[in-house]
Amino acid sequence: MEILRYSSNAWGQKALEGLSWDLLWVFFSIGAVFIVLHALYMWLLPPKKTS
Amino acid sequence: MVAASKENFIVNDKSAVLAPDKLIRHVRLARLLHWLMAICVLVLLTTSLLPIAEIKFSWVTLHWVTGLILAVTALTHILWSLFRTRIRQMVFGLRDMQDAVRTLLWFFRISGQEPAKPGKYSPAQKLIHHGFAVTILASIVTGLLMMVKVDTPLWERNPYWLSNASWGIIYIIHDLASMLLVTMIMLHIYFAFRPEKRLYLRSMVLGWISRSEYASHHDPTRWENK
Repeated sequence: MEILRYSSNAWGQKALEGLSWDLLWVFFSIGAVFIVLHALYMWLLPPKKTS
Repeated sequence: MVAASKENFIVNDKSAVLAPDKLIRHVRLARLLHWLMAICVLVLLTTSLLPIAEIKFSWVTLHWVTGLILAVTALTHILWSLFRTRIRQMVFGLRDMQDAVRTLLWFFRISGQEPAKPGKYSPAQKLIHHGFAVTILASIVTGLLMMVKVDTPLWERNPYWLSNASWGIIYIIHDLASMLLVTMIMLHIYFAFRPEKRLYLRSMVLGWISRSEYASHHDPTRWENK
């Protein structure tokens, strides 16, 4: 998986274009995994409040 | 049990005509700025990410105009927060750090000691706010710089204003902020809809929480409203 995006400019030089769009799925997956794990934890082992 | 009076909670919201059992948590301007920023961020993410998914349309003008609206909204929020609200309520201090550790230990059943009730904002709410603040400000600043490379009614594009390496760093910060926003928005929406947090979603829509919610979720000595 690429981390950065590059392009070639008019002189054939490599120019940095930003982060690779492949990383978008990494950030989306981190959010999705956190939500699933938190929801499962709260469903199966909800922390008990005394008050 | 509830130490503060209703009047203590109605701040800068002359339109608030509430039943006796309701307390203002977010005044009208705060709610308006929150939802305006939310709409702007969603439009900005949609207009920038859809073309990556091969959904092609003329997105550039809509993107930078929405970016400018977001910049003005964020600036209004900052100025209003600095001069018209109690900024200390949102500061993440040592006590918040201790409360956050205590909450985590209780959440994972390592400790039986329940976390202390927060003031107006919990440590988690402060952290997500500051995370959004840093990320959105980074995207605004880099976005404004990138506008130099866009033709607008006010100026012609100048792609040579900075070196390629400098533009590359600006692009990376802008992209990283956008991708972080995807994760943060997912978590923000998830927690907003969780049953135990839904009172905060309602307060961001309608402005109020009930007195019983206030008593069960907040420490009156830490929610300053004098």
